[in-house]
Amino acid sequence: MAEELIRLEDLVKIYDTGAIKVLGLKRINLTINRGEFVAIMGKSGSGKSTLMNILGCLDRPSMGHYYLDGTDVASMTPNELSDIRNKKIGFVFQSFNLISRTSALKNVELPMTYARVGKRARRERALKLLDRVGLLSRAEHLPNELSGGQRQRVAIARALANEPPLILADEPTGNLDTAASEEIMGLFSQLHKEGATVVVVTHEENIAEFTDRIIRFQDGLVISDDRRGGAEGAV
Amino acid sequence: MLFENMNMAFSAIRVNKMRSFLTMLGIIIGIGSVISIVSIGDTMRNLFADLYKDVGVTQAFLCVGYWIDDRRMSDYFMLDDLERVKEVFGDSIAYIDSNMSTGAEAIYQKTTVSFDFTGIDYNYIDVQPVDMIYGRYLNEGDVLGRKKNVVMDVDSAMLLFGTEDAVGQTFRTDLYGNVDEFTVVGVYKKEMNAFQSLMMGGRSDRGSAFVPYTLLTWPNDYFYYLHVFASEDVDLNEFLDQLKAYVANIKGRNPEDMYMETAMEEMSSVDSVMGGLSAAVGGIAAISLLVGGIGIMNIMLVSVTERTREIGIRKSLGAKTRDILIQFLTESAILSACGGIIGIIIGVGLVSGIGMAFGIGVVIRPAVVVMAVSFSAAVGVFFGLYPASKAAKADPIDALRYE
Repeated sequence: MAEELIRLEDLVKIYDTGAIKVLGLKRINLTINRGEFVAIMGKSGSGKSTLMNILGCLDRPSMGHYYLDGTDVASMTPNELSDIRNKKIGFVFQSFNLISRTSALKNVELPMTYARVGKRARRERALKLLDRVGLLSRAEHLPNELSGGQRQRVAIARALANEPPLILADEPTGNLDTAASEEIMGLFSQLHKEGATVVVVTHEENIAEFTDRIIRFQDGLVISDDRRGGAEGAV
Repeated sequence: MLFENMNMAFSAIRVNKMRSFLTMLGIIIGIGSVISIVSIGDTMRNLFADLYKDVGVTQAFLCVGYWIDDRRMSDYFMLDDLERVKEVFGDSIAYIDSNMSTGAEAIYQKTTVSFDFTGIDYNYIDVQPVDMIYGRYLNEGDVLGRKKNVVMDVDSAMLLFGTEDAVGQTFRTDLYGNVDEFTVVGVYKKEMNAFQSLMMGGRSDRGSAFVPYTLLTWPNDYFYYLHVFASEDVDLNEFLDQLKAYVANIKGRNPEDMYMETAMEEMSSVDSVMGGLSAAVGGIAAISLLVGGIGIMNIMLVSVTERTREIGIRKSLGAKTRDILIQFLTESAILSACGGIIGIIIGVGLVSGIGMAFGIGVVIRPAVVVMAVSFSAAVGVFFGLYPASKAAKADPIDALRYE
């Protein structure tokens, strides 16, 4: 029996721009199980970025419930959400979002710093993670001394730092060439095989091909939800 | 976490070296000037205190007030009055004389030098120590016998006789119109630092010499002022009050008709003027610290805006409001404290340099230094508060989207 990691119940997001109210998400109901490898697709304006922000606890829904790892995070305060992001979510962004003036190692250590992990343990784990993404030799390099693919691998190592149950990737290959894109998606597949839950937001079909389940968005609604290729945990 | 914050702060400060330095400059100048001004003030006060200690802080002058309408002959002091006072107050008085001095030409062979003659008792050396290098000081016999003997300093001896060892030499002078022959019985030297000789007038073309005070009251034996040094172990104010009352009584006057001038009063008024002055100028210098603080706030605001994306990243990775707040506060406090420390080094260096150049021991109070550092760190925290809270409140989504 597959365990539920994410459950969205009647999730609504309204953007209040002052003059008009825009419905970003219209009553979304969605469940993602532990260990799934999911792609969320849609054109710009489809609501996929809004969903991404809510799934990542960067934003709060206007109505409805969002259960992440068993807790309803919909009504949490910003500081509580910081804690959730720190422990439950690993972000991978399109533009890498590494802190430019500190080394790859320090970047990987950062989530553990905010989790108040001791210096020695932090360093040990960061080095292990960099080794895992094949960048141990670049630990002391600054982000601008690394290629795009390497930067994204540092970002993945950072996302794994606090062993979060959810890896959330927002257009992770958007700034990469084909070879680097495949390398990064290969890494996500690898993580998935090892049991991680990976959610990738993308608009590229060939990227979505790597995943087991594709959820398509249009105008703030889920228009299709396809499971493929022997994915487990079909409801 | 504190260590991490300080690391982050130093790395942020290092990235913009020039900008950080210019930001610190305001604090550097502020702290530097506060420290140097307050220290210069303290040093001056100390120098004046030394000067007064040298002149004698227990010293007082006493006479019947100038404002008396019915001035009488009996308002003047006689040598007998002086003896009575000496007898009544005994050990409480370290020294007493008639405070007489006069100027006259001293003539030795073909040399004529203007001299100031000060009348003293033989124990004046106890309250105003000097080093006798040739001969002896005036003695009781000189005073009681009204001997025409003098003691002078080496510079005066050089002026008049062209030699330091003038013991036994005679010269002529006319005190009160009578030309008399005087004999030098001793030559002394007084050590003074640069500041003292500046305040005392230093070398001049006038000579000065001590003569028995009994000579200067002659022939009428009356004089206007009693010049007293209280001994170290009496309560100065109580002693002076008693002295005033006693002297008023023997002159048939009320104590309030007496005029008294004390070195202590003068010293404390000089001290309070100096203290007030250095506090006022130090206060003005402290305004520059405020300006420096505003400079820090300004640059921190720029820094927060520039690093909006970094703030977004940190928040997405789990930084709480407090983490961001402390990060930026640490940065501005360190910026300010570094400026403060450099300012102290410059201020202390400047003051010590001046002191060394003039050969004066400078006074730098540790409390002032500690206050200056704490104040500069406080300035950093205070002026960092607004930019840091602005950073801490940033919305992570907006911050991440910021280009």
